[in-house]
Amino acid sequence: MKRSLLTGVAVVLAALYLFPVYWMFVTAMKTSGEIFQYPPAFWPASPHFQFRAVFASYNLGRYIWNSLLIATGTTAITIVLGTGAAYALAYVRGFAVNVALFAILMLQVLPPSLMVTPIFVAFNQVGLLEWPRVAVVLATAAKTLPFYIILCRATFTQVPRELRDAALVDGNSRVGAFLHIILPLARNGILITGVLVFLQSFGEYVYSRSLIADKELQTATVGLSTFLGADANDWVGLMTYSSLYVTPILLIFVVLQRRIVSGLTSGALK
Amino acid sequence: MISQLLKTLRDGDGFEAALVLAAIGYLLVFAAFPLVYNIVMSFQEVDMFSLASFDRPFRGLDNYRDLIQRPEAWEILRNTIIFVSCSVVFQLGLGFALALFFQLDFPGAGAIRGLFLAGWVMPGLVVGAIWKWIFAGDFGVLNYALHSAGLIDKNIFWLSDPAYALAAVTIANIWLGIPFNMILLSVGLAGIPEDIYEAAELDGANRWQRFMSITVPLMGSTLGAVISLGIIFTLQQFDLVAALTQGGPANASNIAQYWSWQMSFQTYEISAGSVVATLMIAVVVVVAAIYVRSVQHEHSA
Repeated sequence: MKRSLLTGVAVVLAALYLFPVYWMFVTAMKTSGEIFQYPPAFWPASPHFQFRAVFASYNLGRYIWNSLLIATGTTAITIVLGTGAAYALAYVRGFAVNVALFAILMLQVLPPSLMVTPIFVAFNQVGLLEWPRVAVVLATAAKTLPFYIILCRATFTQVPRELRDAALVDGNSRVGAFLHIILPLARNGILITGVLVFLQSFGEYVYSRSLIADKELQTATVGLSTFLGADANDWVGLMTYSSLYVTPILLIFVVLQRRIVSGLTSGALK
Repeated sequence: MISQLLKTLRDGDGFEAALVLAAIGYLLVFAAFPLVYNIVMSFQEVDMFSLASFDRPFRGLDNYRDLIQRPEAWEILRNTIIFVSCSVVFQLGLGFALALFFQLDFPGAGAIRGLFLAGWVMPGLVVGAIWKWIFAGDFGVLNYALHSAGLIDKNIFWLSDPAYALAAVTIANIWLGIPFNMILLSVGLAGIPEDIYEAAELDGANRWQRFMSITVPLMGSTLGAVISLGIIFTLQQFDLVAALTQGGPANASNIAQYWSWQMSFQTYEISAGSVVATLMIAVVVVVAAIYVRSVQHEHSA
């Protein structure tokens, strides 16, 4: 009895906390007259969807496409460069490894809003801003790579060393042991961390805003911010835009929730 | 010679070394180099005209001197300190309370706790957009709630009133930071052996005494890690300011990281933007060193 009461309290706390997310969806389902009612309605009189209209009028397809391209590129670079490094840093010990780990932890905390100034100037000097989305991918991957290496390394440390040593004795080369024995065992951790990197770069804002000048190449976050000016009043449209943008993210999160939580915690404290 | 190199790469220590060096090389070019370049630019004269030039005049410490003489510098420093300290205190307090609550044994605890992270996976800019609508002066749901509770009798214009703008950004940032604090603290709590509590209970210690004499000291290094991570994440926060107030009205909610970006990308005072970035990165690196230390301490303990 007492324990189910606690569950009730927990549900109320979660509902209170998630109210902003609920409010986004509810606002998206109202009419533009309804949102300026007082007192505000906590459920729309008759749910009203304008997904198609918002999708077209806000040019959302274009923006989401750019965000997808940037997130895919960033995730690809991060996984290709990060997985091997995480493996090596988990299996090799020594002073140099500690130095490398410390440097990677330090690079993980650099705020993009402060790194973007030198990146912009340097990319401009070498002509990289001619390909603005590539520039954003390169800059974002420098932020996600340390994060990925640290989380993935935690996964690799859980794969017993003996398995690799046995594979080497059996005549595998180091490349072979890594590719055929270790990688398959660490697959889940790599996948979850990859998803986290993808979600992060799918919502990236500072670099896209600062390095991409052409409106056609901008991402969904930058698009949203331009519609958010001081005179923003089409809140139905803005909340519909937001809902369309984050619903896939929330779905991925709900499906992988358990693993995301455990993956995150293993990396941040180890 | 070449074949020997290939052999060590494929089947020797060279393999692991190459894997690490590829990643480190990338980070050197795209993270470490900008870091150094930032410091260099903070001593140079960089504006729209010298932007593309490789040969820019050095100004020594003049950029730093100019910066601290700006009237807004101290206001923004004060805002940043308030923003960071309030965010960290409330994220930690609420996160710790929730972590303790979810530590109680009841059905669904783990699953419901996980739901809190939904806020954390959403893009910061979308979170900012939602809060902007919640904070709206005339039709915002927050003012309605405060009205109904009898706490205010006049609408607060959260985003355009200089007295409230910083508070609004801080509230949104606290909301964003609670889940991460809660999850990390839960991990720390789960690591405390149950029998210590039982022994203390047998000795007649009440709940509060057990909390103060067992939980807090044993959570020491976790708390250190969580607080330093909280400071680091709050110093990285940019999206919420961009979505909610753009630092306004009249810098009332401006914080250092947003100010640095504004100078570099809106008024093109790139030297000044680099100066702020350099100073802020120095702060972040110090906090990060504390974080790494407390994590390593915990790991070896």
